[in-house]
Amino acid sequence: MTANTGPASTGKKRLILNLFEMNCVSHITHGLWRLPGNNRERFNDIDYWVELAKLLESGGFDAIFIADVIGTYDTFRGSAETSIRQGLQIPNNDPSLVVPAMAAVTRHLGFGITFSTTYEPPFAWARRLSTLDHLTKGRVGWNIVTSYLPNAARNFGLDGEVEHDKRYEIADEYLDVLYKLWEGSWDDDAIIADREHNVFADPAKIRPIFHQGTHFKVEGPHLPSPSRQRTPVLFSATASGAGTKFAGKHTEVVFTGGPSAAFLRQTIANIRQAAVEAGRHPGDVKFITQAGVIVGRTAEEAAAKRAEYERLTDAEGYLAHAGLPFDPTTLAPEAKLKDVVDSDGGIGRWRSFDPERTVGEFLANFGDFSRFALFASGTPEEVADAIEGWLDEVGIDGINLTQFHSYDTARDFIELVVPVLRARGRLRTEYDPDETLRDRLFGAGDRLPGRHYAARYRGGAHLPEAWPTADPDFLTA
Amino acid sequence: MSDVTSPRPRPLHFAAFVMNTTGHIIQGTWRRPSARQTNFNDLEHWVNLAKLLERGKFDAIFFADVVGLYAPYRGDERKYFETGLQVPSNDPSVLASALAYVTEHLGIAFTASILQEHPFNFARRISTLDHASKGRIAWNIVTNYLPNASRNFGLEGLTKHDERYAWADEYVDVTYKLWEGSWAQDALRQDRASGLHADYDKVYRINHSGPRYSVEGPHLVSPSPQRTPLLFQAGASEAGRTFAAKNAEAVFITSPHASVAARDTADIRARAVTHGRQPDDLKFFQGLFVLPASTEDEAKRKSAELDKWIDWDGQLSHMSGSIGIDFGFDDLDTPIGEIQTEGVQSAVAWIKDLVPGRPATLRDVARLTASNVRIVGTPEQIADALATWQAAGVDGVNLINAEIPGSYEDFVEHVAPVLQRRGLMQSEYAPGTLRDKLFGRGDQLPGRHPAARYRGAFAPQPVTGASR
Repeated sequence: MTANTGPASTGKKRLILNLFEMNCVSHITHGLWRLPGNNRERFNDIDYWVELAKLLESGGFDAIFIADVIGTYDTFRGSAETSIRQGLQIPNNDPSLVVPAMAAVTRHLGFGITFSTTYEPPFAWARRLSTLDHLTKGRVGWNIVTSYLPNAARNFGLDGEVEHDKRYEIADEYLDVLYKLWEGSWDDDAIIADREHNVFADPAKIRPIFHQGTHFKVEGPHLPSPSRQRTPVLFSATASGAGTKFAGKHTEVVFTGGPSAAFLRQTIANIRQAAVEAGRHPGDVKFITQAGVIVGRTAEEAAAKRAEYERLTDAEGYLAHAGLPFDPTTLAPEAKLKDVVDSDGGIGRWRSFDPERTVGEFLANFGDFSRFALFASGTPEEVADAIEGWLDEVGIDGINLTQFHSYDTARDFIELVVPVLRARGRLRTEYDPDETLRDRLFGAGDRLPGRHYAARYRGGAHLPEAWPTADPDFLTA
Repeated sequence: MSDVTSPRPRPLHFAAFVMNTTGHIIQGTWRRPSARQTNFNDLEHWVNLAKLLERGKFDAIFFADVVGLYAPYRGDERKYFETGLQVPSNDPSVLASALAYVTEHLGIAFTASILQEHPFNFARRISTLDHASKGRIAWNIVTNYLPNASRNFGLEGLTKHDERYAWADEYVDVTYKLWEGSWAQDALRQDRASGLHADYDKVYRINHSGPRYSVEGPHLVSPSPQRTPLLFQAGASEAGRTFAAKNAEAVFITSPHASVAARDTADIRARAVTHGRQPDDLKFFQGLFVLPASTEDEAKRKSAELDKWIDWDGQLSHMSGSIGIDFGFDDLDTPIGEIQTEGVQSAVAWIKDLVPGRPATLRDVARLTASNVRIVGTPEQIADALATWQAAGVDGVNLINAEIPGSYEDFVEHVAPVLQRRGLMQSEYAPGTLRDKLFGRGDQLPGRHPAARYRGAFAPQPVTGASR
């Protein structure tokens, strides 16, 4: 049992290496689907995902991390026109359903799947994730999101976005329901499969959860039996106040970002502190960030590739993606962002952009990849140097590798960077066979540690034995 | 009845009727040494089955599903756990992409209740799978008859039978709007030279507003090969038949006799006509279990041997828990009498049909759930029996198993060749989507289906949040 990211024998922190994906054409590098040889528009085709999964496993990637939204970016210039024209996350397909095909052709690759807690009942999602954890033999992670698109809210019958802190309150209860189902509803030894006495499962070791909260009422029991990890590896992406508390309590791998190394260091410190306050250890939370890498055999080759990617980048895609409630192309270039942007909600996920910048700088910046907080371009050694700096100086544990080109980005990384990182003790040379995703990331077994909040429900502890309100009609309806 | 002098019959369609669990229809048989259905958690179990079915030229694999426990039997749910009766169970939909990847022609049908998911998300998941499978997905539309399932989704108990169908009407209406109306067929352009990925003027919001759902759209997924998946449905009650007549392309029936199938298929086809559809817009799949052997005596011996493994109390519990009346404390000779239930209404009629002339007892119920649907004999005899069903108006068979993969191995090895020789089963797959394979009329729903009215129905308008 060797943690991928714990201190290796070399004493060096190992890199968590994920590919950042989304089941759509234009995820986060807008305009680049047009690059020659780019496979992005094959996302409807299951072969795209299968080929990608095999490639990633050949290069020792820990996981493929699949983002998702359930609405359309339609605020920029008051319409979805820019998004639809550019393939900016529309059309987009469900992320969880390409996983089984990828699981069928791999043995080790992990899967981080994004799903929102705001609009769907928890019971079906808990079951789907358990099914996936069974199918993959414990290689599933869930990226918990609360959704931020107003159109998503209107797709699910609400008039508008649920307010930010309220979404986290719902998410907190949602997870409580899931922990009860995953950790508390079935004991590990509930399946007996005694052929002689015709007892498949022992009812005494399986129980309803009788959850009654503010937002959800769920009886249970959980329908799947315990999977390898029970609770999948819990990812979440956050930097906000409510999000920090949430991550401190729940998250195992925080997907974070920010405009600077200092910002990232502060986020990491804040969330580790929140984890400690929630009774966890600082090392119970790992941090990954989106990172761009453009590598070439020579500096010239890398520079040429970068120049081509930057040239095809489409700034308007980024503006629409930001969901900007204003059109910066109509604002005074010298105005500072902080003066025209509601830093709390208006730019949402773009809060990592420096509010001290001017509108003009902001607009000029899209075609310059230096704007990414974590970006490296150059020879394999230069790139590896940068990544080691992120690990040791910024303090992150891993990256979600941004794709400029599918599959060139992953293929280049595997061919050129992985060997260098392996030689430097930053990546393992092979997978441990039969290891779950959680065990690979933390090296402490398949299940959540006992100090995680979810563990309180194990063995049925903290679960009522009946509905709190005695209502005979309810139980026999 | 078909014989060698008759004109060559049309092939029947065959689907493997399975569930992502240990004990689906025939209880207790998981204990047989050769049975592997306890491996349902493993992907490989299903991948191997799908490959087997495709080798055998099955039209589809059909996954049943429930999202709760059956209603109490003998006072609680103990029996279901002990015999593995549909618990533990896993979500069937997530298997679909893997099964699509390892097969080329097999249809992939799965059951999803309107209870478990918002139609916006569900429509998106189906479209994703229809893309991944290149148009081989079918949805078995179900409401819900299990009170525990209702309580898993925040309701106090079972929704009234007819109200469930009103709910289903709106649910499918939302999905039809998303699947058929939200994107013009030529909206996706993917023009690298101009950078135009999709034509904004051909992607529409649906702005659905109904009693239960309010959905803006647009659909997030571009049109998949079938757009609307092939629509399966199984309700046999009055409301269920009406729903099938309006919506279903394939109807799963469990008639006790071919004569009942003849009556019911004619009834539902006639109702379909009143909804502007044609009689052959619907295919009927009868649930059957076949037990072949090289001689009739050997088949009977195998059938008797199978009976020894069946958990008859489990069979009764399944029926009891479906109709929501606890028979668990009653003597097996108790007549079932007149039953009013919000559960599975057709089950009660089914039993009465099978026991004419005297009151049906609980013993009848237990026995018939596992034996009535069983055809025992040589492959030739099985073919004869299937031809009888076909003559009664049945188009296909949903093939029940006693064992996975054993029941399907037996069928593929021994029965399928005979059926194929007699023209009762396809020997080669037709090209195209599942819908085109079954109906031979193209990939998408015919224009007279109610979903088709949403094609082009959402006038070009700005997809704008700011205008609200």
